[in-house]
Order: sequence, then structure tokens, then C-alpha cells
Amino acid sequence: MSEVRPVPLNLRNSRILPIRFEYYEPTSLDEALELLDKLGEEAKVLAGGTDLIVKMKMRALEPKHLINLKRIPNLNYIVSDSESIRIGALTTWSDLEKSDIVKNELPALYDAVKAMGSLQIRNMATLGGNICNASPAADSAPPLLVYDAKVKVVSKQGVRVIPLTEFFLGPGVTALRSNEVLTEVVIDKHNVSVGSAFVKISRVATDLAIASAAVMIKLKDGILEDVKIALGSVAPTPVRAKSLEAALVGRPAKLEEVKQYLNLLEKDIKPIDDVRGTAWYRREVSKVLVYDAFLKALNRLGGCSL
Amino acid sequence: MTAWSFLGSKTLRKDSLAKVSGALKFTNDLEVPGMLIGRIFRSPYAFADVKRINKERAERLGAVVITPDDVPQKLYNPRLVSVHEVTFKDHQVLTKRPRFVGDPIAAVAASSEELAQRALELLEVEFENIRKPILDPFEAMSPDAPPIHERIMKGDKWVEVKNNVGAELTYSEGDVDEAFKKADVVIERFFKTGRRYHMQLEPKAVLCVPHTDGSITIYTTTQTIHNTRILVSQIFDLPESKVNVVKVPIGGSFGSSIQTNVIVPIAVALCLKARKPVKIALTREEDMYDHVGFSMHFRIKAGATKEGFLIGGEFENIIDIGAHQVQPYPLLGTSLGWFVSLYKWRNIRYVGRAVYTNKVPGCAIRGYGAPEVTWAVETIVDELAEELKIDPLEFRLRNYVGKGDIFWGQGPTVRSVIKSDGVPELLKEGSELIGWSSRGRPEDKKGRFRRGIGVGRGFHTSGAGGPISGEVIDYSGAVLKVNEDGSIDYITALQDHGGGTLDAHVKIIAEALGVPPELINVVWSDTSTTPYDVCTHASRGTYVGGAAALKAAEIVKQKIFEYAVRVLGRVVNPEALKIRYDRELKQAVIYVEGNPDLKITLKELATIAWQRNWGTIAAVVTHRATSAPPSFTVWFVEVEVDTYTGKVRPVRVVAGADIGTVINKDLAEGQLHGGFAMGWGMAVAEDTPYNPTTGELLCRGFITDYKIVTAQDMPKVEDFKVLFAETYEPTGPFGAKGLGEAASNPVAAAVANAIANAIGVRFYELPITPDKILKALKERGEWFE
Repeated sequence: MSEVRPVPLNLRNSRILPIRFEYYEPTSLDEALELLDKLGEEAKVLAGGTDLIVKMKMRALEPKHLINLKRIPNLNYIVSDSESIRIGALTTWSDLEKSDIVKNELPALYDAVKAMGSLQIRNMATLGGNICNASPAADSAPPLLVYDAKVKVVSKQGVRVIPLTEFFLGPGVTALRSNEVLTEVVIDKHNVSVGSAFVKISRVATDLAIASAAVMIKLKDGILEDVKIALGSVAPTPVRAKSLEAALVGRPAKLEEVKQYLNLLEKDIKPIDDVRGTAWYRREVSKVLVYDAFLKALNRLGGCSL
Repeated sequence: MTAWSFLGSKTLRKDSLAKVSGALKFTNDLEVPGMLIGRIFRSPYAFADVKRINKERAERLGAVVITPDDVPQKLYNPRLVSVHEVTFKDHQVLTKRPRFVGDPIAAVAASSEELAQRALELLEVEFENIRKPILDPFEAMSPDAPPIHERIMKGDKWVEVKNNVGAELTYSEGDVDEAFKKADVVIERFFKTGRRYHMQLEPKAVLCVPHTDGSITIYTTTQTIHNTRILVSQIFDLPESKVNVVKVPIGGSFGSSIQTNVIVPIAVALCLKARKPVKIALTREEDMYDHVGFSMHFRIKAGATKEGFLIGGEFENIIDIGAHQVQPYPLLGTSLGWFVSLYKWRNIRYVGRAVYTNKVPGCAIRGYGAPEVTWAVETIVDELAEELKIDPLEFRLRNYVGKGDIFWGQGPTVRSVIKSDGVPELLKEGSELIGWSSRGRPEDKKGRFRRGIGVGRGFHTSGAGGPISGEVIDYSGAVLKVNEDGSIDYITALQDHGGGTLDAHVKIIAEALGVPPELINVVWSDTSTTPYDVCTHASRGTYVGGAAALKAAEIVKQKIFEYAVRVLGRVVNPEALKIRYDRELKQAVIYVEGNPDLKITLKELATIAWQRNWGTIAAVVTHRATSAPPSFTVWFVEVEVDTYTGKVRPVRVVAGADIGTVINKDLAEGQLHGGFAMGWGMAVAEDTPYNPTTGELLCRGFITDYKIVTAQDMPKVEDFKVLFAETYEPTGPFGAKGLGEAASNPVAAAVANAIANAIGVRFYELPITPDKILKALKERGEWFE
């Protein structure tokens, strides 16, 4: 009868943090990196806390040390120059929402911001936190993936710049080493097009995605010169739909074209059944989401090829 | 229409400022010196027995610990609403035989939440006979299924539980088999509803304070302070005079605290052992392991003649009650009551079974089975009408139970005759507003986004009163006293869930006495100072509680007139006097019609009575309603189905309500808006599935994965029309009826019928999620590729 495993509900207490841990509030990045270097695997980094604190209350994570980054100045910014857009890791979703740079230059990310959580969550949650939490459903991931974003990670040993496509390794697992902090998201403007969009389907309006998709396209004479497609909640990590992208590059920018190749998505995604939706539904609806995101992206380019 | 002084007008709710400013104290906000915090050790297994509990380590931490050996060994039912003989008892304060993940086994109390949590984790509980959970009621009823409870108590008698059926009710009228033979159309369908969680804003809490004389005071989340007192008194053998339950503001309920919450006796046991005040406040995830609603499995067979008249209805009702009975027996009766009181079946056969499973116990959820039964019946009625090629509205009008008909919504023992009925008016006006005649046929609708219009018609009773004392207890009481300055204190045990019930009472009193609402104080009372009231449930707050308040006001009025005669010397007798609100003086004036010089304000009169030692004008009443009239609601809903994703969106809503005289129009509209949101969630989103191996809720009690709809999912306010029928209920206070549950009951039905009108598919299992819709469309060969 050992097959029936006990449910750990007595360990959960969402009113308090039902575990013991040491708490740190470094006031500089160097101090934080020093701490991380010393404490290693047993430490967790706290930003907005909208994922981490929940996991601690649920006892899914029991870090011995908690390092709050929010006292570190100068990690909350959105800047744009001729080459790139750089976003500080502690930038909250509300900051993203209020940014004209995000709204005008990164429309897919802006769509994701508008679709994410409640006002309370947006006020607390940070972009860096959303990426490092590495949920397959992270709303920021598909837009950043289609913009070929890179993340800057820093440790006492130095700086690494990792393409986001190589950052997500599994649910909650990233390329981040235990002594590193993600400090910045960098988007090369050459990889950005206003012809980009994000769409998501969820059970109710304020919810995690059952599935999500972002599309970015560049056109030349009505031909798809560049296509980037990424999906969320349909694989162990947010994923790029490379098979479909490859098939679409060089094709006419017409919805009917897109439709023909949508089945290629099945090669790129590995959905599962969970409490939010079934694998079957995710597989089916992914195609619709890509189609809808494509339509929205095309419209943002003026709908010229419809 | 009568010109009222106060009824129907907009007034500031008495609790509104405290609520919006955050000043209002709910149970979990209360703190008393020396208070301990309690935590409950819950079973990690769905179906097991406790072998041994070691509490040493927890006690060494300084915690007070109770196990099943420390509490009264009594079976109880947390809900006292039925008479004793049909009250089914299987609950224990703490159990050695846990029957669902979350069943309370032990409890600790310590000086802080953190310490209590640590103590909880130091409890060592060993289990044996760990079995796989039974999560399906049909599996539970199979002969080889292990018994979840071997025997339980019914009243004072032990009864064996057979096939895990906890309670059963059968009924028949006429000859159904013969009727189906005669019928021109017979349809049989199987339905299954979701098992929803109430998601009331306030998770349950309790604070128990001991006193030196052995008495205790309880502050808790409850819809019924008196039944809480009675139950605690019964479990702990304390005289009721030693148990005082205080009414505390409640943060919504929807039936979740219709019973005495099981945390109450646990807190009492901790408090009696610790001899200190103990507070237990459930976290949200614990709250979801404390209660959910019932899920229901129906088989309905219905027959009609080609002339468009129903002639037979057969109804089988299997209720998945979970691991313990929160008195589902009356639900077996009301389910039948909703069924027979929706339409004239003429021949009826019913069997209802309340079946145990290893799930979170089900308790009443807004509508007490009516939303579920109404959804199924309104689906079948639509289908019959389609089959007979009769307009569904016309079919309903021909067959519904209305004015002059015998009505027994609350079950076979609660019968009365319908005296007010706004159904024809609401069907007509609603259908015109929504554009019923141009709703089109699903087969003609094309394209990705398809719209459909559906109707759902239903009702709820106003309480569970009746001329004869049946199996259900239903009476209320009120105390009203005129203060020395003419202002009024109103004292009632009746709880206001947040819908503004007590504001309705205030308006009724104001209307009767001409005293403005701002001069009427609603006293936060307790069981020691109020006459018995059964519970704020069954949409009875306004109709029954309001009638009690009116009864008290009428007595007070007579006494006012007797005093006024003494002052207004020339008046022959009290009958010659009248009372009204004077808009200029902003107070009540007692006067003689046609004699403008003969008058006195209530303020002056009350002061004279005080100064001259005449005594206080007051009344204590108890009130049993001899009727439980239906409040009819008619919903028209337009939806839009995205045939690519299966998502459904509400486009337009017309909510029609026949509640007699409307006492608080804006609050009544609010009930209908809220009722729609709740019904919409039931129709398209809400359920609590389980892990089949562990018996754990898949959402684990977290609202991250139990989603309810929010304002963002609702239609625009301008697309939501509310209609009130021009009716007057002669048995109600100033012609009023109830609303709370009627406001939601037919919503899921209307939504399901609208989806059918949009895409031509009927769904027999709730919730109608996007994947079900997409699957159905794909099976029909429709797919966007």
C-alpha cells in the first residue's frame, strides 16, 4: 500500500513563511555577489517575490538564505540607444507597462505585460524574476525569445552574456549558476520589428497561460524576410518554433501561407496535461495562437499583405 | 405603485464606510490578551486509519495539543437545519479514521502562528490501512467498494451505511411509465456538474474565549450564531446559557458557513484544554480543504405531448457529498423541489442518493442544488421545444409552475401556494430586449466567432417556511426598542453575508415607523441577547427576517400610539393615530388625519415617556413564515464562441427578477451582477478535480489554480440590463420576496443554451471548458485549418 503517498498539506501555511532562513538585504551588487559566492546553492535571490515567496509557502523551496536584491540601486531601468534596448532586472511589470519604449518598440512584450497577472502582481513582479523563475508559462519569455534577447549575468568571477534561447533548460531550471545574478536584458535593435505580437489563452482573464505565442516578422516586398515564433506553456521551457520559422522564411506574408505550415508546430512543442489544460488542447490551440499573433503582427505593419 | 418613503430609494449602506476604509473587523482581525493561535493537523491520506499519535515533541515546544482522545467522543452533523430525526451524524471533532485529505486529526495551539506551525510539524502521526481513495460516487456505490463509513447516526439511532449511500430520498406521483408511453416525445439525458469551491472572500476563522465561570464566548465566521451555539452546547455538554456566540461581520459566504464550521469545536476543545483564548484562522488552501460545494450526477427523462405539454418527468440524482455529511439529506429534498416546481411534469418519479467519496465534504453553495437542477431541466426543456418545433419561450409559458399553483421548492414537506408571479412579464420584456426572435439557428451561423442567445428560467424560495411544521426548521426573531430620543435599536441574530440584508430590514422598519434609516441602529448582537434565528440561508433574510422586523415594528407602533394618546389628549383611541416620515423635520411624526394641529414627533414623545417614567417602548418577537414564495428570475444571455479556441465570452445579458417590492434597488442589481459572475464561472470554468492516487486537490487549495471569473471576464456594464417585475407578494414584508440565490440559479442554464444556439452543440457536463467545445467542433469536422 506504499503506493499512496502522503500529501504534505500540513507543511504549507500561506499566512507565514513556514520555514527558517537567514535574510539579507545587500545595498550593492558587489555585496550581493559576495554573499552569493559564499552561500552558493543554499541561497535564493529575491526580487518581486511573486513566485519565490509562493514556492516557499508551498514548501516547494526551502532556501537556507534569502538575498533580497530590491535595495540595490540602479537595476531598474529601461533605456534605448541606436543599437539596443536594455532593461534592468529589477524593472517591475508596472514599469514596463508605463514605458513608451516598450509600448512603441517592443509591442509583443507590451502585449505580454498587459496580459500578465493583476495590478498587484504587476506592481511587485520584476522582469528578471519572471525570467529566472523559468516557468514554461512565463509571459515575458515568448516576446523576448522572438526578439532574440540576451541576458547579462554577473558573478564575482565576471560577466556572461547568454542568449535567452540557451538560458531556459527546464521547468524552473536555467543556465544561471548559483553564484550569478541576472542583471540586465539586452535586445539588439536589429532583431526587433514593430511587426510583432503576443497572444495568450487562459482560463479566466487574470490567470497563467494555458498556452501563449509570440511572433515577430520582417517583410520585404511582401515576402517574409525574417520570422521568429516562440511559445509558452507547451513544453518544459518556453520554446522557439524553429521548424515553422524555417518553413515560413521567404514565403509570401499571407495568412493562408501561414496556415498551411502550422502543423509543423507539433515538431517544436511537447505539451502536457495539467490542471490548466490538456496536452491535446494545447497542441490544437498553439496553432491558433500563432495564427492570431501573426495576424496581429501583420496588422501592426499596416496589414499590407492581407 | 405605492409611494414609499424609503423602500426602493438609494441609501448609504450602514457598513459601507467601515468596509471601504478597512476599519471593519472580521474574526481574524480580533485579538484578545493571552490569545493562542491554533493550527490543525490534517490527514495527508484520503482513506486511512490513525495507528498512533505522539505529541511529546510538540508539547515540549510549549504547545497545547489535542488528539481524538482529548475531545468528546460524539458523532455530530455540523448543520442543524433538519429536525433531529433526520439529522445524519458522522463528523467527529477530531478523527482517528480520516476519510479525505484534510480531515482534522489533531490540533495545536501556541503563542504565535510560527510556533504553532512548528508544533504542528513536530506531531508524529502513524497511519495504517492506507487505501486508495474512492473519488467517484458510482464506484463508491459498487458492491465491492470498501465502506467509507460503516455506521453513522440518524438522530439518536445507529444506522448501517450500505454501498456508501449516506442518505436517500424517493418520491413518486402519478404513473411515469404510462406517461412516457403516451408522450409524443421522450428525451433522456445524463448530466454531471462540477464541484465548485465557494471562494468567499473571507477564509473561515474562529476565536474562542473562556471565562472564569466555565462559560465561553465564540466569535466566528458563520451564517448562524444560534445553531453554532446549540451545536457547541451539544458536543461539549455545556448549557446553552454558558455558550455565547457573537455575530461578527462575515466576508461573504455563499453557503460556505451555513453549517457550524468544523474549526469551531476544535477551537473550543483547544480553549477548554488551554484555559486560554484560542484563535484558528484558516489559510486559503486549508479553507478549500474545509469545504466545497456538492457535485451532482443526474439522469433526467422527460416526456411531452405534441400539443406542447409535459406529461412525465423522471429524475435520478446522485450527489457526490464527499467524506462527511454536511446534511445533504434536505438537498435530496430540495433537488426534487426545484425539479417539480420548475415545470408541471404531471407524473413524477424521483430517487436521490447522497453518496460518500474520499473528497472534501460538500456543503451548500448558493442555490442549494437549484443552479444544477435548473441547468439540466432548462437544457431538456429547450431540447423538447426544439423537437416539438415550439418556441422555447412559449413551451415554458405553457408548462411552468406559476400563480395559483402549489409550490414546494424546499422539498416535499414545505408546501404553499404561489401568489405573485412575474414570469410572463419578464419573459416578454427580456426577450424583446435581447432580440430573441432574431437569434437565428445554429446551422445558419458561420465564421470563426459565432453568437448565440439562450434563456434560463428559474426561481428560488424565500426561506423554508410553510403552514405545517415539516422536516426543516425555519423561524426568526427580532428585538426593537425606541430609545429615549426616539432613535431606534434593532437587534437580530440574523447575519448579513454582505448582500445588505440588514439594510433591507432597516428600510422595512423605517417604512413602518417613519423613522429615517440613519436613526436606526443595527446592534451587533449575540446569542445571549437575541431570539432564535435558524440561519441566513435559503434567500430568507429579507422575506423572513424582514417580516420579523416588521412584526416588531408593528407592535412598537401600537405602543407609540398608546403613549401618543396620552399626550394628544383629545384623540379617542390609538386607532385614530397614524405615523409618517416628515421630510422637513427629518423624523417620524404621529398625527391625526385631517387635524393638522394634532401631532407630535416621535422624538418628543420618547422624551416625554422617559421623563414621566412611562417605560421603554420595545418589542420582542419570534416569527415563523407560513409560506416560502418563489422569487422568479429569467435570464437572457448572448454569448460569442470563438470556434478556433473554444473560448466563450458573454456579450449581452438581460437579468429579469421578480422579487416583489424592491427594497434596495442598487443592492438588488448588485446581487444580479454577482449572480451572473458566479453562474458564468459555474458554466465555463469551475471545478475541483483530484489526483486519483493521493486524493489531493489538483489545485492543492491554491487559488492560482482554482480560478473564478473577475470583472475583466464580465460583459460591459452597459450591456448588462436588469429588469424588475412589477409584482407584490401579499405574504411578504411590504410585498417583498428574497433574491440571493434566485439571482444566480438559472445563469448556467442560460449560458449553456446560448452556447447551443451559437454552435448547435449541447454539453451535459459542466464546466463547458474551451477544450470540450473545441473537441465537439472538431468531431463535427470543423477546424480552422
